[in-house]
Amino acid sequence: MKVSIDEVKYIAKLSKLKFSDEEAAKFASEFEGILDNFQYLNELDLEIKEDIDKVELKPIVRKDEVKTFECTDLFRNVKDMQETYIKVPKIIE
Amino acid sequence: MKMNIEEMVSKIKTGELTSEALVQSYIEEILKTESTVNAFLTLTCDEALAKAKIIDEKIKAGESLGRLAGIPIAIKDNICTEGVNTTCASKMLEDFIPPYDATVIKKLLAEDAIIIGKTNMDEFAMGSSNENSAFKKTLNPRDTTRVPGGSSGGSAAAVAGKMAPVSLGSDTGGSIRQPAAFCGVVGLKPTYGLVSRFGLIAFGSSLDQIGPFSNSVEDSAYILNIISGTDELDSTSIRDLKEIDYTDSLKDGIKGMKIGVPEEFFGEGLDEEIKASVKNSLELLKELGAEVETFSLPIIKDGLAAYYIMSSAEASTNLARYDGIRYGYKTPNYTNLDELMENSRTEGFGTEVKRRIMMGTYALSSGYYDAYYNKADKFREKLRYDLKNTFKKYDLIVGPVSPILPFKIGEKNADPLAMYLADIYTINVNLAGNPAISIPSGTSKDGLPIGIQLMGDMLCEEKIFKAAYSLEQALALEL
Amino acid sequence: MNFETVIGLEIHAELKSKTKIFCSCSTKFGAEPNANTCPICTGVPGTLPVLNEEVVNLAIKAGAALGCTINKYNKMDRKNYFYPDLPKAYQTSQFDKPICSGGIVEYEYEGKQVKVRLNRIHIEEDAGKLIHVEGEPISLIDYNRVGVPLAEIVTEPDMRSVGEAVAFVRKLKGILEYGEISDCRMEQGSLRCDANISLRPVGQEEYGTKVEIKNINSFRELQKALEKEEKRQIELYSYNEGHKVIQETRRWDAAKGKTISMRSKEQAHDYRYVVEPDLPPIILYDDQIQGIRNSLPEMPDKKRERFLSEYDLTEKEVEILISDMGLSMFFEAVVKEGVTPKTAANWILGDILRILKDRKIESLDMILSAENFAKLLKIVEDGKISNNIGREVAEDIFDENKDPMKVIEEKGLMQISSSDELEKIVDDVIAKNPQSVEDYKAGKTQSAGFLMGQVMKLTKGKANPNIAKELVDEKLSKL
Repeated sequence: MKVSIDEVKYIAKLSKLKFSDEEAAKFASEFEGILDNFQYLNELDLEIKEDIDKVELKPIVRKDEVKTFECTDLFRNVKDMQETYIKVPKIIE
Repeated sequence: MKMNIEEMVSKIKTGELTSEALVQSYIEEILKTESTVNAFLTLTCDEALAKAKIIDEKIKAGESLGRLAGIPIAIKDNICTEGVNTTCASKMLEDFIPPYDATVIKKLLAEDAIIIGKTNMDEFAMGSSNENSAFKKTLNPRDTTRVPGGSSGGSAAAVAGKMAPVSLGSDTGGSIRQPAAFCGVVGLKPTYGLVSRFGLIAFGSSLDQIGPFSNSVEDSAYILNIISGTDELDSTSIRDLKEIDYTDSLKDGIKGMKIGVPEEFFGEGLDEEIKASVKNSLELLKELGAEVETFSLPIIKDGLAAYYIMSSAEASTNLARYDGIRYGYKTPNYTNLDELMENSRTEGFGTEVKRRIMMGTYALSSGYYDAYYNKADKFREKLRYDLKNTFKKYDLIVGPVSPILPFKIGEKNADPLAMYLADIYTINVNLAGNPAISIPSGTSKDGLPIGIQLMGDMLCEEKIFKAAYSLEQALALEL
Repeated sequence: MNFETVIGLEIHAELKSKTKIFCSCSTKFGAEPNANTCPICTGVPGTLPVLNEEVVNLAIKAGAALGCTINKYNKMDRKNYFYPDLPKAYQTSQFDKPICSGGIVEYEYEGKQVKVRLNRIHIEEDAGKLIHVEGEPISLIDYNRVGVPLAEIVTEPDMRSVGEAVAFVRKLKGILEYGEISDCRMEQGSLRCDANISLRPVGQEEYGTKVEIKNINSFRELQKALEKEEKRQIELYSYNEGHKVIQETRRWDAAKGKTISMRSKEQAHDYRYVVEPDLPPIILYDDQIQGIRNSLPEMPDKKRERFLSEYDLTEKEVEILISDMGLSMFFEAVVKEGVTPKTAANWILGDILRILKDRKIESLDMILSAENFAKLLKIVEDGKISNNIGREVAEDIFDENKDPMKVIEEKGLMQISSSDELEKIVDDVIAKNPQSVEDYKAGKTQSAGFLMGQVMKLTKGKANPNIAKELVDEKLSKL
């Protein structure tokens, strides 16, 4: 399973991670090894012959009632706030 | 301290033993051992002692207290404790202070337990040796040149090193059972959904479960009584649970219990000493009255691909929220928002974490979703199906926990794949959701702990405890 | 060459539940920034979602009102992308198994029957609000809106003109409002519209290249944006530059009055949809669905029919009333209090509508009660005050829902109907205006009108006009 450096860089972009060319190359070869190892998955017979006992599933929901979540200072871990807003560098649409 | 938790609590409640004395004795052990073992990331000894004193006062005043009154407990650092640093052993959360308590913490505190500290782990629970921690390396108390296992290495070491009578860890692919085996303690992964995940910082959402480390099977059952139960805040928490006291049928014996041993567990790659120890224990189980039978369950050796694909896929999305904006590490190197997010993540996460995020993103990306994630999902369904059928025939499935003995620090760092392959025996129950326990089965000739794994059907912890208890008593290991 | 416009719409309607979709924070509009938040909706590590039952019910209601098939097995998925208004870096939405499929909306536009098929309706969570600060290199995030439940309604590309599209949205708004499913206020953002517009030569079956238009914040903008984009595309096609129409997303800039390409370096949006592992599938049952179908309030079409048959009003009057749910409800409540429908309609479509426009208030936000307004109308109908005085009183009582009788008494606005009192005033006026009397005698009958005016002026409009006129005419005839 060949994994190119370009592919690694594309995946990195999707994951919002940055790698140098060296690191990307290392990742690419590691991935290849790992994915090669996973190829056997394609050869397994995963057919399920009969129906598993169907259980009457109940939907998991909660009532529509306003409740305050008891917690201490919710934004204590925010490094940059302005009044009650969270501050970030300007977002350009 | 040879008492089990129940006895300790009982003595504290009568005043025969003070919580203060108990907590103090553990603090002394911590002072002796911790500098070598490095099980903890945060110690809350002063607060613990203060709380112990309050509990003793309450007892003197005749107040009725909970089932863990005055007992110190260590908590893995991926479980949120309000006001107390919770880092997941990552630079990314180095200064994170949760604004709330995880449900399991609430339950422990409601029973008057005392939190003595947060334990070290592999970063974001990704790893099998505890070497992926961004802060320190935890050493195996049984042999401090070796790893304690992971990812809950710190919690296992805390109990094995006598620094806490009991601790909590989390198990996504064996992260409780393997360190339990490596450190020679009892580690339980409950049925998925039996213990609330609310407050457990997510790694693989459909695989994670919180469970106890303890010195005895009885203690394990005792803690499960307290941490299990439906949680309205967790949609994956099982509803309509039966009221069970897991300590109830512990000592009933295992006459007639049908134990299945998949022959695929004993294939190539299994350390000979581990094999011998597990086989020895199986003999003991036979002597205790169980019917032990070898059978073929091919799928039991095929889970690695599905596990790594699934857990990485879920991790990639669970860890996307860490970008420096609302909490956690914020890079000083940025000129715009994009750089802020990208650099915070790149600098804040360790290598293994980045590797898994990348693998997961890859598995979910268009073009690969069918080949990887979808396939893994299908495997999972088949595994569940096969296990369900197996448990129609057998009460328990028994086998090794790890194919290798606790290894030396640094030994397995070169190839991530080698580390992954060692998870082969533990991942199945995470994929399927079944409960499993690891108890000490013996030691290698060098004195390294060996664990044996007992797996049961969904919500069948009682059977597991029963067999584990009987075996434990029969083995009578001095650890 | 003649081109045909093809439009499809994607509408996001905020569902009218009290709390957010996955946590119990309030959804109330207008709170202080970040006041309606909790660890769950802000994605604090360790938190988990729990689905709001009312959100499911409202979605079923929407499906029922719009002729959809309700999918009894549907599920939530994670849509992964990074943006600071999305705390978890994924939006929990529905990808391949939405709660409703199909559906149809029928309406009349410029004399012909239009049928727009729906593709699906799914539920998802909203993101936060970003404020870009003028003149400073910062943006501010308010998470109040994160987690507010949305129903995304996707149409097939069945609309053939901009007008048809705008009419569709009006029709949809009416249905959602009447169904009490959504408040549908575009300016408040509880109804958002994205459009897909393409052109193809008349007669061609194949669709042209479609362009997505975003950032439409009112009905007016919808009209303008679509017209502008339609024009842009027609021009390109007409001048053989059709290749310049590419599949992209364009942002409507109201200030500049045009659509602007949002093409950035990242062309592909690989959302890597994956099933939401923290939420079990949504299972619906027949009796639950039927119960909700039965609970649907009267829809606009039915109400229109009923109004036309029950009340003696013109089609136009009924149309205006129906188009505003609050107004139609107010009308019926006023009629219930005993006011004749015609009178009620006149005043509501006249004065109330005018006051609402002046005050820029929505009819549903009116504080004036039907009870008090009906009281006022009855006072006018009884002749106790004139129409004009009635108008003044209406203005007065509107803002604070005052009792009209109190206002009339306090200000002494009761119509003067006593002949004695009026006679004195008429005499007074005649005495003070000898020229008008002369003019009248000289045949200028309009002088009577002038004198009437003076009587009204003197009595500050309180004179009963009929009696006053009788008296003036009588007096003048005797002179």
